[in-house]
Amino acid sequence: MTPDFLRAVLDTLIPGEAAPAEAGLPPLPSGSAVIVDHASYAVQHADVLHAIATQAGGERAFAEAAEAARTSVLRSIEARQPEPFRALLTVLLQDYYETPAVLAAMGWRADPPQPRGHELSPAETTPLAAPARAN
Amino acid sequence: LFQHARTAAAVAGKLVPCVNPAMHIEEDLVDVVVVGAGMGGASFCWRLSERAPKLRIVCLERGGWVDPAVMPAQRRDWQSANLHDWATSPNLRLKAFQQSLSADYPIDDSGSAFKPLMWNGVGGSTINWAAHFPRLHPSDFRTRTLDGVGEDWPFDYFELEPYYDANDAIIGVSGLAGDPAYPPKPARAMPPLPLGRLGKTAARGFDALGWHWWPVDAAINSIARDGRAACNNCGPCLIGCTTRAKVSVDVTHWPCAVAAGVELRTRSVVQHIEIQAGRATAVIYRDGEGREHRQRAACIVVAANGIGTARLLLASGLESPALGRNLMYHPAAYARGMFREELDGPAGPVGCAIYSHQFYETDERRGFKRGVHLQVTRENNLLQQALRLDPPWGREAHQLLRQEFRHSIAILVMAEDLPEPRNRVTLTDRTEADGLPGVTVSYSLSDHGRKSLDFGLNRAEEVLRAAGAYRVVRVPLAPLTGWHLLGTARMGRDAATSVTDRRGRCHAVPNLIVADGSLFPTAGAVNPGSTIGALAMKIADDLARDMA
Repeated sequence: MTPDFLRAVLDTLIPGEAAPAEAGLPPLPSGSAVIVDHASYAVQHADVLHAIATQAGGERAFAEAAEAARTSVLRSIEARQPEPFRALLTVLLQDYYETPAVLAAMGWRADPPQPRGHELSPAETTPLAAPARAN
Repeated sequence: LFQHARTAAAVAGKLVPCVNPAMHIEEDLVDVVVVGAGMGGASFCWRLSERAPKLRIVCLERGGWVDPAVMPAQRRDWQSANLHDWATSPNLRLKAFQQSLSADYPIDDSGSAFKPLMWNGVGGSTINWAAHFPRLHPSDFRTRTLDGVGEDWPFDYFELEPYYDANDAIIGVSGLAGDPAYPPKPARAMPPLPLGRLGKTAARGFDALGWHWWPVDAAINSIARDGRAACNNCGPCLIGCTTRAKVSVDVTHWPCAVAAGVELRTRSVVQHIEIQAGRATAVIYRDGEGREHRQRAACIVVAANGIGTARLLLASGLESPALGRNLMYHPAAYARGMFREELDGPAGPVGCAIYSHQFYETDERRGFKRGVHLQVTRENNLLQQALRLDPPWGREAHQLLRQEFRHSIAILVMAEDLPEPRNRVTLTDRTEADGLPGVTVSYSLSDHGRKSLDFGLNRAEEVLRAAGAYRVVRVPLAPLTGWHLLGTARMGRDAATSVTDRRGRCHAVPNLIVADGSLFPTAGAVNPGSTIGALAMKIADDLARDMA
């Protein structure tokens, strides 16, 4: 499979953001900007990737198609092969959302939850409001 | 003569301690063998070892201890661990082809609306539970009498209450006394967990509607206690707790039980229980090296959860028409509200903020009996949230995730699951890798369950909007919520409709005892951990009296 085709699949599934969507945060990067090692998923998910290429009329045709056309192809494959498509998507989203740049773009830190833990908002330190009574 | 007397007594239901340490007749003959080291088995062993310290008690656990150092909350791939070796479903863990620390067996859940979740090891599912620790209500013990549905328990709330209190004491509960939804409870050992922006925002919604809410009782340290740290709000309780701020019974009960003399044998997979002439005589188990052992005992106690217990008892040929039937999970659904303001994101114990029992008791005007539990939960990690979006890919997915992440509150609607014989655990005709028959769970959501969930979702949406949500998304059924495995060896008076008596003793084999959630005749609409622990302790006291 060609790198252009794999990048096109990635960037249709995970297009990223062109501009910051939230004040003070960078835009989400595209899938291909984050996931550079295509080899493993190209092998592991070869069948569904071939199906995508075939549906589009070839790898090059898919890579050169407009985003709307690529999206339409992927929707079609998702409907016909839901489990293989979901497996591919899961692997890609997993790699994507564990990337520090993506976590930062979503306003979350890259460090794992431990050992630092998190501070909850100072609002918690105010006295509890009197809870209402059950009927 | 001694052996004959023991057998006769056991058949009559009066058990006699078999081992006098001063006069061992056979080294492998013990008083009590317990199968399973989760909440039921741990509570039972700890209590029995306190009440009857001379008894020789052996617990056989199919899995091992979990070292907190290997839990994924300290790894960069902690989010995806949830999909693989630390998935909540044993089937997903097995499918991941990774060496899980949980000693799992496959469960055919293709015919079940909810997927069973569990952990198989020392601590059982308390290793990866959310540690929300409510009690049943008094009415939950009398649903047949009060509402004409389900079954009454063979005892009431107040008979179990001292055991709830005793279990709370060893667990260490964070919470706030005075909840008007319950009879008075003793002061909680620790203050409630922080509510955070999320909890306070949700509370605002309940207050606006004049509905009950209360900080949850949580089996999580809100302050340092008993040599364990205070929770540092790291978030993902379901992948284990590296700081041990969250209770799991490998940390609380087992050290006490082992110090009291209970022998815990890990990596010991019980294959079957020998039953002869109405008496359980021994368990056959396989150790970590695959060697088989025969462990004789005067009394055998099974606490392997509502699926594992039924599987083992069925595989052992226990005859009871109710065995494996009446599986209850608690039907569950979610409503998720999106807020303009920033909330806490996936920080804080995921299942523990506040809850409401405004609609817990029966109100005939709703069109169904019994009620629902509304539980305000915290956000999941980013990856989990991204994976369950609709659609989960493309530009729209980014927009949806932006709206949701750090800006949402989910309210879990948990409904009372009425016992129905068609919902059941059965064996398959294949033998699994662990040497036991395969197991299938069949469960369909009843009309009662659907009505309850729909009612609860309506109320959840109301409260989210009252709290300020500008958009609410409903998840009408949440399949991966099958934590509560209940009812498959239920207690009762009639051997035709129940498996055990009020003391957990099997009607057909009185020295074969059940001590876990399988015993529940009805399930209420709250998390069962607290009740499983209390019930197992009560059964231990009953047995201690019998063996005195």
